[in-house]
Amino acid sequence: MENPIDLETRPDCAVIALHSVTREYTGHAGTVRALDHASFSIVAGEWVAITGPSGSGKSTLVNLIGCLDRPTAGELRIDGEDVAKMSATELDRFRADKIGFIFQQFHLIPYLSALENIMLAQYFHSMTDEKEARAALERVGMGHRAEHLPSELSGGEQQRVCIARALINNPPILLADEPTGNLDAANQKIVAELLQDLHAHGHTIVMVTHDPEMAGLAQRKIALSHGKVFCHPVGGPVVSLRK
Amino acid sequence: MFFRLLMESFRRQRRRKALAGLAILLGTTAVTAMLALATTIGDRIQQELTSYGANIVVYPAADQLEVKVGGVDIKPVPGGAYLHESDLAKLRGIFWANNITGVSPELPIHILGKTAIGADVDASATGLWFDHALSSGGAPLKTGAVGLHPWWKLAGAWPQEQHTTAQNAEAVIGATLAERLKVKAGDEIQVAGQPGNASQALTLHLTGVVSTGDAIENQILLPLNAAQTIAGTPNAVRRVEVSARTKPEDAFGRKDPDTLSAKQREIWYCRPYANSIAYQIREALPGSRAEQIRRVEQSEGTVLKRISGLMWLISAAALLAAAFAVSAAMATAILERQTEIGLMRSLGASKTTVAMLFYAEAGLLAIFAGGLGYLAGSGLAAWLGARIFATDGGVRLGSLLIPVLFPVVVTLALVVAIAGSTPAIRRALTTDPSAILRGSV
Repeated sequence: MENPIDLETRPDCAVIALHSVTREYTGHAGTVRALDHASFSIVAGEWVAITGPSGSGKSTLVNLIGCLDRPTAGELRIDGEDVAKMSATELDRFRADKIGFIFQQFHLIPYLSALENIMLAQYFHSMTDEKEARAALERVGMGHRAEHLPSELSGGEQQRVCIARALINNPPILLADEPTGNLDAANQKIVAELLQDLHAHGHTIVMVTHDPEMAGLAQRKIALSHGKVFCHPVGGPVVSLRK
Repeated sequence: MFFRLLMESFRRQRRRKALAGLAILLGTTAVTAMLALATTIGDRIQQELTSYGANIVVYPAADQLEVKVGGVDIKPVPGGAYLHESDLAKLRGIFWANNITGVSPELPIHILGKTAIGADVDASATGLWFDHALSSGGAPLKTGAVGLHPWWKLAGAWPQEQHTTAQNAEAVIGATLAERLKVKAGDEIQVAGQPGNASQALTLHLTGVVSTGDAIENQILLPLNAAQTIAGTPNAVRRVEVSARTKPEDAFGRKDPDTLSAKQREIWYCRPYANSIAYQIREALPGSRAEQIRRVEQSEGTVLKRISGLMWLISAAALLAAAFAVSAAMATAILERQTEIGLMRSLGASKTTVAMLFYAEAGLLAIFAGGLGYLAGSGLAAWLGARIFATDGGVRLGSLLIPVLFPVVVTLALVVAIAGSTPAIRRALTTDPSAILRGSV
């Protein structure tokens, strides 16, 4: 059932493709190059961990992949579309369609219930559907807590709601920024299992993490240092696509 | 979902909303109060000035010049140069009848007589209405000299005109004259009839001593019917003071109606200028000459213009202060919710959608707090009015609820809330959402 693909020969299979992407920030102190000619690809269904020390360019890379920012130079293709050429409005729309965010701090709206927080993502994407939103909560084991406010949920529960919200619009990419960084061991295990389950069901996961244990769950690591990208294993992706 | 977001934001963030709402409420309260006072100040000062005395005086047309020395009319009374007391009821039938708040006819006479202790009395006296019901068939106007001269101070009681008979009448005596004649309330003065006319002798029963601060302190004040009896001139009135609510005089008000076109004349006639009311009085009282007391009327217009300008200036200052307060409150509220903005942006919400949501919140808050501010401001204006204007006689909220101010105040609250929110919303929307979500802003 698995079909190995070499992206060198089949670049069209990449759901995320960076080619010599550079991102520079200009301020009073001059120009800072946060990402320096980064080139790599991620195929659909892959689970990639992005690692690196603070200031290495992880956040810049996440912003670019999450369509929250555009490269200064180079080509960034998400699901085949060149992000650099999109207008701000197109980028908003594209982000709602293609990216599901999972945050370290969960970022649930405090005055909306768990269910309403899921429906908010539906609202900004297209139309709300309470039945679908409940099903997403059921999927992460939070169906019984649908009407609870974030303040009434534990950290692990909030993160599961956050994952359900990321999944609700069926985006091709899940972008997880330190998804277990704020959780205790027990909840970390629950979330890790949930991400494994999502990966097993074919979701593409791009995960920023400092946690070697979590990074170990990914198929591949992309390490960053001083804005430069180092892929592991060295030599680039040779991955298996699930059909 | 949009409305659910709005409603939940209000329902579950009451404290935050209350703070921003309070800023709008205080601002609109101040603005409403100032606007309410500024827009009604003309009428209220008019009313206040009216309480200081008459603003129209009516003479017989035959009198071309009033000759007063020390407050006493020394001009000889020509034959027939009187107004008729019975004609005064016609004042209740003129176009601006309801604007006439006081009528005080006067008949100056000279009294010769003796006090109870035998001292000679040779004094001026004036016949007046003290508390007279003036009616032309409709609701009577209770009026007289007492109402038109609120500064008169009386020790005792005012004379009752219904107690006047052919031989007796009540009277009050000016403080200076009382001292000179050594009489007091309760004493009597025997007034001699004057030979050569129909005058009659009668006894004046002094009911009080009056202090006026002017020449009247040297006079005796008695009911008009008693003065007519003493002078032998029934139904005669020498002069009538009229207090009317008028529009401050402007260039149009000063025009001679006889030089205006028919249409312009009608407009002039239907505006409550002192001149047009005087004109209507002349029409109503045959053989009369009615003039406004220009000193009061003219300075009134200038004073009104200045005070009104000051009130508008204070309103503008209050509005500006409110705008800053609201801006600060809204900025705080929005900056506290930067994470929400970052989250919404990361979920795909456009800047316009997020801005609309926050503007809708600010707008709802402005309508609600602005409405409350309108009510509170109206109450404040009523309270201030009662303290500034003695004629208000107390807080009357109903009279200060000016409906036209409601949309004005709510619109101002909306403008202030939206303008106040804009810098904070713009700043939040231009901040990198990922930086907000990482908490690095």
